[in-house]
Amino acid sequence: MKSLKHITAILLIAFTTLLMAGCKKSLELAPFNAFADQTAFSTPERCLLALNGVYDAAQSGDYDPLNGTAHSVRGYPFGAASIEQGDMRGEDMVNIATFYQITYQATYSPVSPNNVNMWINLYLLINKANLSIDGFKLAQSTGIITGPWEAQYEAECRFLRAMAHHELLIHFARPYLDGNGSQLGVPYHDYAIGSSAALVRVRSQPRDLVSVCYDKILADLDYAEANLGATVPSTLPGNIPPPTGANTFRATKAAAIALKMRVKLHKGDWAGVIAEGNKLIPAAFPAPFPVLTANYWTGIVSPIGGWKLEALPNGPFTNNQSTESVFSIKNDALDNTGVNAALAQMYGPNVPGRGLASIAPGIYNNPLWRCDDTRRSLLLIAGASNANTPSFFTKKYTDYVNQSDYAPMIRYAEVILMQAEAEARNAATISQRAIDLLNLVRNRAIPSPATNQYTAASFTDKNDLIAKILYERRIEFLAEGKRWGDIHRLALDPVFSPGGIPAKAVNGYSNAGGTYVCGNASPAYAQLPIAYGDFRFLWPIPQDERVSNPIVAQNPGY
Amino acid sequence: MRKLILTLSAVFVLILHAAAQDRTITGKVLNDKGGPVEGASVTSNDGKYGTQTDKFGTYSLKIPASVKALSFSLVNFENESRTIGKNTVINVSMKLLDSKLQEVVVVGYGVQQKKAFTGSASKVDAKEFSQLVTPSIDKQLQGRAAGVDVTNAGGLVNTPAKIRIRGYNAFTVGGADPLIVVDGVPIITGNLAVATNSNALGDINPEDIETIDVLKDGSATAIYGSRGNQGIILITTKKGNKGRTNINLSSTFGFSSIVKQFPVLDATQFVTIANEKFTNAAQAGPARLDPAGTNTNWQDNVYVNSAFVQSTTLSFSGGTNKSTYYFSMNYADNQGVVRSNHNRDYRIRANIEQEANKYLKFGNNLTLSRQENKDQNNGSNALSGATVAALRDLPNVAIMNPATATGYNITGNALGIGANLRTIDDNYVNIAFVLDNNKFYADDYRILDVAYGEITPLKGLKIRSQFSVDYFGDNSFVGYDPRHGDGFSGNGLAQNSYQSILRTNIQNYFNYNKTYRKHSIFLTGGHELQQQTTRVYSATGQNISDLFFIKESLISLTPSTQSVTGNYTKSALESVFGRINYDFDNKYFIQASIRRDGQSSLATDRRYGNFPGVSIGWRPSREKFWKTKFFNDLKLKASYAVTGNNLGGFLYLSTYGSRPYGNVGGIAVSVVGNPALQWEQTKKYDVGFDLSFWKSRVNVSVDWFKNDLDHLILGVPTPMSAGIPGNVINENVGTAENRGIELSLNMDVVKKDNFNWNVNFNYTNITNKIKSLYTLNGLPQTEITNPLSSPYNIIRVGQPIFALYGYQYAGVNAANGNPCYYKADGSLVQRNVANGTYNYLLNLNDPNIGVGTTLTSADKVILGSVNPTWFGAFTNRFDYKQFGMEVMFRFSGGNKIMNVTRQEVLLNQKFANNGTEILDRWTKPGDITSTPRLYYANDAIINQNGEATSRFVEKGDFLRLQNVVLDYRFPQSALAHFHDYIKSIRVYVQAQNVFVWTQYKGGDPENYSNLGVDATVTPAIRTISAGFNVGF
Repeated sequence: MKSLKHITAILLIAFTTLLMAGCKKSLELAPFNAFADQTAFSTPERCLLALNGVYDAAQSGDYDPLNGTAHSVRGYPFGAASIEQGDMRGEDMVNIATFYQITYQATYSPVSPNNVNMWINLYLLINKANLSIDGFKLAQSTGIITGPWEAQYEAECRFLRAMAHHELLIHFARPYLDGNGSQLGVPYHDYAIGSSAALVRVRSQPRDLVSVCYDKILADLDYAEANLGATVPSTLPGNIPPPTGANTFRATKAAAIALKMRVKLHKGDWAGVIAEGNKLIPAAFPAPFPVLTANYWTGIVSPIGGWKLEALPNGPFTNNQSTESVFSIKNDALDNTGVNAALAQMYGPNVPGRGLASIAPGIYNNPLWRCDDTRRSLLLIAGASNANTPSFFTKKYTDYVNQSDYAPMIRYAEVILMQAEAEARNAATISQRAIDLLNLVRNRAIPSPATNQYTAASFTDKNDLIAKILYERRIEFLAEGKRWGDIHRLALDPVFSPGGIPAKAVNGYSNAGGTYVCGNASPAYAQLPIAYGDFRFLWPIPQDERVSNPIVAQNPGY
Repeated sequence: MRKLILTLSAVFVLILHAAAQDRTITGKVLNDKGGPVEGASVTSNDGKYGTQTDKFGTYSLKIPASVKALSFSLVNFENESRTIGKNTVINVSMKLLDSKLQEVVVVGYGVQQKKAFTGSASKVDAKEFSQLVTPSIDKQLQGRAAGVDVTNAGGLVNTPAKIRIRGYNAFTVGGADPLIVVDGVPIITGNLAVATNSNALGDINPEDIETIDVLKDGSATAIYGSRGNQGIILITTKKGNKGRTNINLSSTFGFSSIVKQFPVLDATQFVTIANEKFTNAAQAGPARLDPAGTNTNWQDNVYVNSAFVQSTTLSFSGGTNKSTYYFSMNYADNQGVVRSNHNRDYRIRANIEQEANKYLKFGNNLTLSRQENKDQNNGSNALSGATVAALRDLPNVAIMNPATATGYNITGNALGIGANLRTIDDNYVNIAFVLDNNKFYADDYRILDVAYGEITPLKGLKIRSQFSVDYFGDNSFVGYDPRHGDGFSGNGLAQNSYQSILRTNIQNYFNYNKTYRKHSIFLTGGHELQQQTTRVYSATGQNISDLFFIKESLISLTPSTQSVTGNYTKSALESVFGRINYDFDNKYFIQASIRRDGQSSLATDRRYGNFPGVSIGWRPSREKFWKTKFFNDLKLKASYAVTGNNLGGFLYLSTYGSRPYGNVGGIAVSVVGNPALQWEQTKKYDVGFDLSFWKSRVNVSVDWFKNDLDHLILGVPTPMSAGIPGNVINENVGTAENRGIELSLNMDVVKKDNFNWNVNFNYTNITNKIKSLYTLNGLPQTEITNPLSSPYNIIRVGQPIFALYGYQYAGVNAANGNPCYYKADGSLVQRNVANGTYNYLLNLNDPNIGVGTTLTSADKVILGSVNPTWFGAFTNRFDYKQFGMEVMFRFSGGNKIMNVTRQEVLLNQKFANNGTEILDRWTKPGDITSTPRLYYANDAIINQNGEATSRFVEKGDFLRLQNVVLDYRFPQSALAHFHDYIKSIRVYVQAQNVFVWTQYKGGDPENYSNLGVDATVTPAIRTISAGFNVGF
């Protein structure tokens, strides 16, 4: 009996001790898989990680299918989607299946996923850039990184911020030429939003005018140009060299200048484009120019960054980190845009890709694209579409299995053709400088440039030259998503306007209305054009933006 | 086994009193009907000597002269005691306890007599369903208790059912699933495996369950604090009975099939419809009948017609004077109706309890379980989704094609082209190849163990310490064949995932029972700490060198693209709690409880919340003024409690997660937290009564309840342009309510010796209403559109949560075949099927294309509630001599279902197969139909894909003949031959989900998600089975 009492006593004590042991410590947990925000910029290494995280936001944002199912990665905004949407809004490629049908046929609504996700992810990129800028400034003020490093990182963020805002403008706002920027643009966010308190400012900011947006974009790019090096610097604090080819997938001074050229081209500021372009293109082409030796175009080297054209038209695509890739968004086997967005999968033929977007017969057949142009042999491939129809596809993106093709954003070829257009437009008559620049790009793709290249005699007048430069852009940048940007900026061009969204091949049938015959007349397209004045020229502001932030006005008609 | 135990106990008894035997007392123990009572304990009053009665109720016990009295005891009987005096023969009649009066309710940290219980709870006797064919008990809770709505969407064998107790008590954060407690341990539940569906509740063998108590109102759940917000299901597993050894073998086997296939087009119909789509779009029709007359029914390939299911359990239970035990072993095999779907269970349970002495008792309950799950891609619009591909695959294309490398009919990476001029749109696959070659497999292990000690230092005081471990380990494998389907683009994929979830739970509490004259008190108090860690990692290889290497596991160095992922999370919940029950004269009752919970999801200064509960009861039937004998018991009760909600994660914290840029490491903001977040609060009210009459043959319970939800954490939508990840910041802003009435009726209609007829009926009516949302710029907002990214739903003040929301369909313009809608102002608009533009029209037979207009979100209206507003069940049980029959009907309704399967799959406008509904399409002026003109590729225009419209929102009302069970119990006389080793035999045949009466056009009126959406769900299952149950 006595021992029983002992046992009872011992158990009682044990019980009480256990009660007491409910120490508060067990609730003091912190996540093990993520940094609390206060610690995300607490070392130079973490600052660099945060900068890379902003690039990631450009590469692979969160795609919301808007039907309640799981989110995924689909290359929004710049990892693939800006290219795919840009091409599908134009007429040079044909949508085959359901993926881009709404974009292709302009049946988007304020709740259709493609346009909603572009809006979401561009602003997500913008806010991540802004939050990181604040973080870098904080790190500088507490001595974690020095001023020049802060400026370098901030410049990269502002480059991406400018690029994102410009992408928003070409989809959701009227072009600059419409009333000289007096139309509604988008809210330009140059401040960070990291708490619900910060939302007050967002909710009191209506859509800025297009002109205001362009001013801010250019201010950001001026800052980027001033503070970026010609190459990506080594890493703090160990002075570790940046990853191989970082100059192609992180912003450099040349990328900032080139992007400025594009923005000014959209503004119609030809002199501005020329001034920027002169920083990247030698004023006088070195000898033996203009004597046409093989690959002479590779001898024209940018004074900043050393960018130059590759020898062959497919050079920038057989090597993601080519001498021509001024700025691309990096994808690789471990982190890419996935099988539902990867450029090779979407744009490649049925086998081994998915054959979802083919080359339109219109551009294939156009006599302005010579039949012996090597861009046909090197960059096109015949195959079956998703519907098993014989079609042509681009061969620019070829890593079907690992989906590691970079998404090209700015190539040196674009720098040259932008400069060509600006020179051509700025001159009173046919500009020889413009012809020389046009030939740099075109000659590498045509046989016997010495006899086949353009000369002043090839053009009836200045406008003929501009028209051929504009068409050269369509050939050279086919399947690089640039077509929509051109349609948008040219819509109100007094001479070169496509009038709005052009007529297209019927959805789903890549060779409908005509077969692929080089040099044949353009086929009659069944999908009718949409005039510039139609509301469908613009994407709608997403419904959820309007509900939670009514100050952002909807585009009329939606 | 039984003999062995009897022998052992006899030896034990012999040893105990070998020295001082004096005289032998014999006798017989009978029940009040004169039948023998087997297994009753007969013990000397000093507790030193004892024996048990045999199957004839007789006993014989040798005792010394010092023993003055014998006591007789057996579970469910009133104790008896007799002084010995000079007698050598003592016969005793033992009275069966009044089961209704003695019924207990498991209440959380203790057990309470039902008559004194003033909360609201439903008890489910596991006998009601333990032998039905089901891999897990959740699916069989359907219709068993008022206020408990269980839906089982789809026929997959390894998905958990959805359980809602008194409505949906959360908004967008925190689960709506009830807490499930097994033998006092809050267990891990959910759909857990990485690669397949896998139901954690499937680890509990339904046959091991003694009772299920569902706690519903605030006062009953308050002792569980925040975790009780969604209601609590308390499961008590079987224990052995002292003195009786039972060996039980039960086995059920049967066949499952789908209740119905989706009606789709045959080859001839398909060719007509497909070509008409193209012709209407001014294109050449590409569909051709196969000269060989191919007419493939793809559903026949995907769905198994009679899938074999079986479950066998062998259990041993019993006990000695000081100990009880229950052991069981189970093997269950459930072939799913999708032919690659499979669930196999191996389950062991071992419950032991031992009394060390008068003061100390200890025990252990253990479950070991292994589940093997096989599955397939079930994505509702995945190209390799089993059901969606079965519906879209072309009927004029054969499954096999000897001319291809694989032998299957494949063109490119799509279904073979057959005689058609183009392949199926969007790369839908040859689903036969995919089901044959892709693998989804999970091998899951579960250890659920609770060890406890209980001391009783004073009479009525019980102090209990228990420690439990709940471990879930998942080994998942996914293998994609490189030749076709999901593995094609990556040239094959093999993925091994490992996941472990470990939950430890420590509880220390006391119960104190004291009765003084007419006053009774019952006190409970204690402390609980629960911690949980989740680890997961997976290794994925793509571009596999040979498809040989994707069979069972990822094999080193076979893939050329390799990636790994991993994660680790930890959470904790800590609480102290106390409860007091008092009753006076079994007439007036009061209960009060309080619990203080802390959770790691909230900021340090807001981490703790206090959750009180109180309830009162009165039994007027015990008052002197109560004259009527007919109404023999009436209890009135009322309760009020406040609960919180268990949130999970670190909602208060803004975090930066890993976001690499290609292969360059990076971090970025992943969540914007809100440090001001506090506990949600639900105020629960309940008023009700329990009434018995006609000699307790009729029992009625009625409860009125209201849950007032306050400080609800709502993902308040942030402007998309703010760039907040997920576009929400959580805030405590919402208020809502669930209110309703529950009614249960149990009636012994006929109670005769040879014939019994019992009727059980329960009915629940429940309405949910949002009362307020957030404010914006100082103005209260009345709605949140696209909640949880779902475009079909809305959260709107005054409406039930997630109400379906969309356009009003007006029908088809008989003049041109365009679909027509009503705008908000009542005007009619038609949508041009060719280009998607909207134009006014005067009436549904107007050939003119009127003025252009739009259909915008302003034209959307509420189309219905996603949760049933009424549901219940009606069960009849007949017993005639040795035969028994149970028939259960279940009904539910008041909800609407957005039938996305019809909208996006069955009525698609692509080059793919359709449902037969499309045969009703408009073809020429004057056609009156609700199916618009066909137009190739314009599904989104014609069917408004991605939006709800009244055309696709259907009533979810149904009446279901849920179960019919026929059984036969062999009479004792028939078992006379096996006297010593077979005690009972029961055989039965049963049918589950026999028939459903509904207007719903989809696969099954229960095939809807939390958001009321039916998106290509696997059809429901019907199971016919037979089985036996033998007691040894």
